[in-house]
Amino acid sequence: MTSNNLDILKALEAKNFQIQIGKLGTAAIQAPVDKHRDALKILLDLDEKTAVTAITGIDLGASVGVYYHVRTSNSFVTIQCEVPKDKPTLATITDLVPGAAFHELEVADLLGVVFEGHPSPGRLVLPDTWPEGVYPLRKDVKINEVKLNAPSSEDVKLSDESGLVKIVIGPHHPALLEPEKFAVLVDGETVKKVEPRIGYVHRGVEKASESKTYLQDVYLVERICGICNSCHATAFVEAVEKILKTDVPPRAKYIRTIILELNRLHSHLLTLGHAGLEIGYETLFQYFWRDREPVMDLTEMITGNRVISSSLTVGGVRRDIKETDIPKIKATLTELRKKIPFYKQMYENEPSIKMRMQKVGVLAREDALKLCVVGPVARGSGVDIDVRKDEPYEAYGEIPFKEVVYTAGDTWARMNVRMDEVEESINIIEYALDHLPSGAYRVKVPRVVPPGEAVNRVEAPRGELFYYVKSNGTAFPERVKVRTPTFANIPAFLKTAIGESIADVPPNFVSLDPCFSCTDR
Amino acid sequence: MIDYLWLIFRVLVFPGFTFILFLTMFCDWIERKIEARMQNRMGPSFTGPSGILQPLADFIKLLTKEEITPNESRKTIFRFAPFFAFSVLIFALCFLPIDGASVIPNVSFGGDLIFVMALISVANFLLFLSGWSSSNPYSSIGAARVLTQFLGYDIPLLMLALAPAFLAGSLTIATIVARQWIPFMVLAPWAFVLFIITMQAELEKDPFDIPHAESEVVAGHETEYSGGKLAFLKFARDVQIVFGASLVTVLFLGGANGPTFFGLPELWGTLWFVLKVVAVIVISEYMTVLFARLRIDQIVRANWKFMLPLSVLSLLLTIGLAVWVYPMV
Amino acid sequence: MVNITTWARVKSPWVLHFNSGACNGCDIEVVALLTPKYDVERFGIKLEPSPRHADVLLTTGCVTEQCAERLKRIYEQMPQPKFVVAIGACACSGGIFSGNYSVVGGVDKVIPVDAYIPGCPPRPEAIIDGVVKLLNSIQQPKTKEKVKSDDEQ
Repeated sequence: MTSNNLDILKALEAKNFQIQIGKLGTAAIQAPVDKHRDALKILLDLDEKTAVTAITGIDLGASVGVYYHVRTSNSFVTIQCEVPKDKPTLATITDLVPGAAFHELEVADLLGVVFEGHPSPGRLVLPDTWPEGVYPLRKDVKINEVKLNAPSSEDVKLSDESGLVKIVIGPHHPALLEPEKFAVLVDGETVKKVEPRIGYVHRGVEKASESKTYLQDVYLVERICGICNSCHATAFVEAVEKILKTDVPPRAKYIRTIILELNRLHSHLLTLGHAGLEIGYETLFQYFWRDREPVMDLTEMITGNRVISSSLTVGGVRRDIKETDIPKIKATLTELRKKIPFYKQMYENEPSIKMRMQKVGVLAREDALKLCVVGPVARGSGVDIDVRKDEPYEAYGEIPFKEVVYTAGDTWARMNVRMDEVEESINIIEYALDHLPSGAYRVKVPRVVPPGEAVNRVEAPRGELFYYVKSNGTAFPERVKVRTPTFANIPAFLKTAIGESIADVPPNFVSLDPCFSCTDR
Repeated sequence: MIDYLWLIFRVLVFPGFTFILFLTMFCDWIERKIEARMQNRMGPSFTGPSGILQPLADFIKLLTKEEITPNESRKTIFRFAPFFAFSVLIFALCFLPIDGASVIPNVSFGGDLIFVMALISVANFLLFLSGWSSSNPYSSIGAARVLTQFLGYDIPLLMLALAPAFLAGSLTIATIVARQWIPFMVLAPWAFVLFIITMQAELEKDPFDIPHAESEVVAGHETEYSGGKLAFLKFARDVQIVFGASLVTVLFLGGANGPTFFGLPELWGTLWFVLKVVAVIVISEYMTVLFARLRIDQIVRANWKFMLPLSVLSLLLTIGLAVWVYPMV
Repeated sequence: MVNITTWARVKSPWVLHFNSGACNGCDIEVVALLTPKYDVERFGIKLEPSPRHADVLLTTGCVTEQCAERLKRIYEQMPQPKFVVAIGACACSGGIFSGNYSVVGGVDKVIPVDAYIPGCPPRPEAIIDGVVKLLNSIQQPKTKEKVKSDDEQ
C-alpha cells in the first residue's frame, strides 16, 4: 500500500494540522502536545513502510522542542511538538512504533523530557556516575560545574531472580571490537532475554559540536565513527549546504560519490571478515581482510589517508582526483572484482558456513517494519529501503545500480546482501570514474551561515544516517543531531537473539554490523 | 647400576620427558606455521631460524610471569589441575613405543591400550576441573563444554581403536605395533579416517573447538589462569595433541616401524615415529584451518547420529575382515 | 638467567586489545595488524582474549566516564610484568574529544602508560614501530620491572 506526498498532506490537512511544505524534509507538521500521536497514526495507516527515523530534542529557551522525523515510501516529514520546560511530559509512541523506544530514551536522558507510558525507562547513553536531573543538551547547564557521583563498586550478579544465568558480554569481550554491555540471560544454552547497557563510548559529540565552528565540526563528526567517517562528513556538509542554499559543482558530487562508495566497500569487507571470525572461521577472516587492503590503498591515493580521510568540506571536496590515478583505481577494482565469485561460492556451498549462518537470527518482515530497522538488516528481511534510491543525493540520481534485497531474514541473507553490495559498489565507482564531469571541485561559500535548519539523510554502509542541523546565524551551530543506523538496529538484535543458542549470539550480532561509537556518539 | 642409569636416561631424556617436550614444541611450531601459510601469512619468523624457538619463548615467558589465584576459586584444585593434566598425558605417552620399545622399559602389559585410552579421559577430566575450579562464568561454560564433548566422543573413539586391536589380535600396544607389517591404515581405511575425525573432536580442534571459542567464552577453561599454571595448561593441550597423533601413528601407521640403515635401530625407529606423527598433525591442522566452528548442539548431534553408528559399523566390518585377513597378517 | 627471561619476554609479547571509547579508526588498524599484509605474528605477537594471559595492553580511544572503571579493572587483572601502549591521539591525550562532559581524557589519567603512538588513526606501520620500540626498551638494562604487585596496593 503506497501513497504519494499529496495523499499524506491532504489527510493531515483534513485533521486541521498546520503544514509547512519544504521545511525539514518534504513537510513539517506542527502538532500540539496531545495530537502528535494522531498525526503519526495517519501516516502509519497510509503506508506500511512508515517508520520513525529519529526523534530530535532541542532546547528552544522556555520550552523543549521534540521533533519526530518520519519516513514513508517516498517522503520524509517532521512532526514538531513543543513541551514547556517546567512540565516536559509527552505521551509515548512506542505502542504504535516499537522501534522508537531507544529514541525516546535518548531525548529523556539528554534533555529531560518524560515520555509517559514508556515500557522500560532508564538511562541510555549517559554514564552511570552522571547525576540525576542534569541534562547536558540544555543550554543553561554549566558543564564545568557538574559533579559526578562516585562509581559504584557492586559486583555483577551472576544469576537473575528467576534462576536464569546471566552471562555478561562486554564491556571487554573478544567478540566485540568496542565496549558495550549485553547481559544475556540464559537457561542452559538458550537465550531468554538480552539486557543492553550502551553508553560506554558516549563522548558528548552533539554538545561539543555546539562550541566548534562549522568547519571544525566536519572534523568532529568524522570521528564519530572511523569506519563510516566519510558518510558522517557528507551528511553534515550536505545539511549545511542546504541551509546555505549552495549547490556543489557536479565534479565534486561525483568525487564525493566515489569516496562514499570506497567507504562502503571497505566497511562491508570488514564486516564479512569479522563474521568469519565469529563463526570460528579464521581463514575466511584473513582472506577478506587481505582483499580489503587494496581498498585502503585506493582511499589513501585519492584522499591522502587510509581511514579518516577529511576530504569533504562545505562547498565540495578538498582534493581532486588526478587523471593519472584513474587507470590505477580501475586496475585495483578489477582485481577485487575477480575475487568476488570465490567468496560467493563459499557462501553458497561451504557446509560449515551454512550450518552456522542459515536460520540464525531470523527477523521477519513485519518485525523489521515495526522496529524501524535500516540498511542491510532491513534489506535482508525483504524491506527495500535505501536512501540512495528513495531520496538520491550527490550523484546517485545519475548512476544506475541495483538495490540488493533478500527475503530470508537470517544472518546468511544479511551477509549476502553485503556481498552483493560490494559488487554494486565496484560498479558504481567504475561508472563514476568513466563519467567524471570536468570543472571545479569546490565552490566558495559564505563565511557566516544564515539562520535556518535542515535535515539530511545518507546511506551509510550500515543503513540510513540522519542529521539535523540548526543554525542561529553565529559562527557555531545551534544544534546538531545525529541518528546513526546502528542506533536504530539494536532493538532488532534484542528481538532476534531470543530463543536461540548462546553460541549463535556472536554471528547474529555481527550480522547486524554494530558500530557502537556511532550509536553512543 | 648401568641399568638404572640407562632407565633414568630413557625416562628423563630420550625418548622420555625431554624428548617429548621438544617434540611437542616442534609440533606446536609446525601447527602455527601451517595455519599461517594457509591464511596467506608468515607465522612466527624471527624467534630462532624460521621461528622454531617461538613455542620455547612462549613457555619461558609464561613461567616468569606473576601467578594470580583468584580469591573465589577453589584454590587447591585450581593450583594443581594444570600440572596433573600435564603429568598424566606425559605418563600416557610413556606407554607408547616411541623408539620400538616403550619409554619405561618392560612396562607394557596385556590390555594397556584400554589403560592408555582411560588416561586420556582422566586428562580431559582434569582440564574440566581446571575450568570448574576457576569460579568464573566463562570458565564454567568452557569447562561444561569440554566435559560434554569428550564424554560424548570417548565412546566412538574406543570402538574405533578396537579395530586395530582386532586386526592384531591383542590389546597390547607393543603387539599391535609389532604385527603391523602392512600398516593397518591400509587394511582398515574406514577406521583410520573415522579415527582421525573423532580424534579431532577429542582434541577439541576446529571444527570441534567450541570449548576454546574465543568469541563466546573468552578463553574457556583457561580464562583465569596466568603465569606458570597457564604455561602448563597450554603445554598440556599441546601434549594432548601430540599424544593423539602418536596414538594414530601407533594404531594405524605402524609406530616406529620402518627401514633402518646404519647405526642404532632405535634412532631410526624414533625418526620414523616422529615423521609419522608430524604427518598426522599436518593432516589434522589442515582440517582445523579449512572449516568453521560448529555449535555444541551440532557437535553432540553429529556424535550420536553419525559417529557412533559409523564406528559400530566400522568395528563389525573390521571384525569380519579380521577373520579372513588374520591369516595373512 | 636474566638474559633468557628478557629474551623470552621480548620474543613473545602477548597482546590484549581494549577499546575504551574510540571511534573504531584505531581499532581497525590494530586488527589489520593480524592480517596477511602486516602479520605481526612473525614477531610472536598473539592476540589474547583474556587479560590474565596478556603482557601488553593496547588501548585505543579516549577514556569515557563509563569505561574508566573497566579500564582500571582490566589493567589490574593483568599479571606482572605488563605494559600499556596508548594508540591514537585520543588515547594519548583525549584527542578531539578532550573537555567533553563524559570524557575523562587520555589513558594516562587512569592507568600508567609505557608507549604513546600518536596519529588519527596511526598507520599499522606506525603501530608496529611503536610496539617494536617498546620491546627494545624492555631489552635495555634499565627496564621498568615493577616488583610490587598490584594486589598489595
